[in-house]
Amino acid sequence: MPRNLRIVLAILGAAVLVGLISLHSLNQRVEQFAETKVSDEQARRDLLAQPISTSSDAKVKASIFWAAGADKTTPVEVELDLSSNPTQRAKQVLRALVTDPPTPEQRTLPADATLLGFYILSDGTAIADFSQALASETPSGILSEEIAVNSIVQTLQGNVSSLRRLKILIHGQEVDTLAGHVDLTGFFDLSSPAQPGAAPGSAVSGPAAAGSSANSTSTAAAPQPRR
Amino acid sequence: MVVLDPGHGGTDTGARGAGGAVEKDVVLNFARITRAELERQGFRVVMTRNDDSNPSYDERAAIANAHRDAVFVSLHVSSTGAPGNARVYSYRFSMGVPATSASNGLVAWNEAQQPYVDASHRLADILQIELAQRFAGSPALSIAVPVRELRSVAAPAVAIEISSVSVADPNSLTAFAPPLVTAIARGLTIYRPAIPIGAP
Repeated sequence: MPRNLRIVLAILGAAVLVGLISLHSLNQRVEQFAETKVSDEQARRDLLAQPISTSSDAKVKASIFWAAGADKTTPVEVELDLSSNPTQRAKQVLRALVTDPPTPEQRTLPADATLLGFYILSDGTAIADFSQALASETPSGILSEEIAVNSIVQTLQGNVSSLRRLKILIHGQEVDTLAGHVDLTGFFDLSSPAQPGAAPGSAVSGPAAAGSSANSTSTAAAPQPRR
Repeated sequence: MVVLDPGHGGTDTGARGAGGAVEKDVVLNFARITRAELERQGFRVVMTRNDDSNPSYDERAAIANAHRDAVFVSLHVSSTGAPGNARVYSYRFSMGVPATSASNGLVAWNEAQQPYVDASHRLADILQIELAQRFAGSPALSIAVPVRELRSVAAPAVAIEISSVSVADPNSLTAFAPPLVTAIARGLTIYRPAIPIGAP
């Protein structure tokens, strides 16, 4: 074999070897990045799902509204440490709603959904800011979305007084619908007491137009069950 | 004028089943079959989409709002639930939305459904009764839910949701079309004499 050819082959061989080593290293780094991303998301979820403790916490029987069959929500009494501070209390009961359904069949919100923030304005307007998972992982459908929203509204109605109405945000943004159907552009009435065992649509009321709700009164806001 | 509204479309597929059923396609098929039957019975019918497009909520409402005697029927298929249930929904407002938003009687676009809430609920109940006779296990009466598509419709408006895309064979959903069409046609026939002409 000519000497030049041997040199070319040797160079080519070395290049292939270096390429394979680089590829392996690159692959390892990509896998590391993927693992890091998963652990970051897990860490964020774990952090947000941490039990919320305040100095005013007291053990009380809370009513958390989970699914009862395909088309209803019903309150389940659970003993929780709840704060006297309405904002913290709301976070505590919503956390329980997401993380502690007694059975998988009673789950109303996706397990990956997290409450990113909860705020109460001076006029009694509550703002619940959920992570994107609430919108992307709630099964798309009128009934399934209504059950999800009802469980949030009724759980707040049943455990946190002094709230007038609720705005649900997804990752800090107002969205048209939860998962393609149920209107999230307005407010949900929190001033009426939650009605245990009520079918969706009769226990809570739907969103009001944002533009007109400022003029409404709590009396007018109280929904009259249709039947 | 019956405005048939197949939900979703385009990149918005709606519910997707593991067996391959896609809501946007199923409801378009339902709407086309319903249109043919309603026209055969003498109804005037328009569709908010007749292809794989995805009109906005406002564009869908605008089609109904362009007619003074419209009835809006939105069609959906759920992602969950035992196959073969049918539920009808009318819109639910709260928080004291006034019957009219201005002294001149004009209604804000986002509240256009407000004056028609009772008419819509009546239509929803009539359709639910007809559907319950054909889809075993369905509720006896409709319920009111804030379905976004209905909010800006200035006419009696309902959404019908059939369960579900979870079927193993997407073609099996076609079997729901005949009872759905019959129920809609009968419900609209019963309701028709009460359809308001112009604003209620």
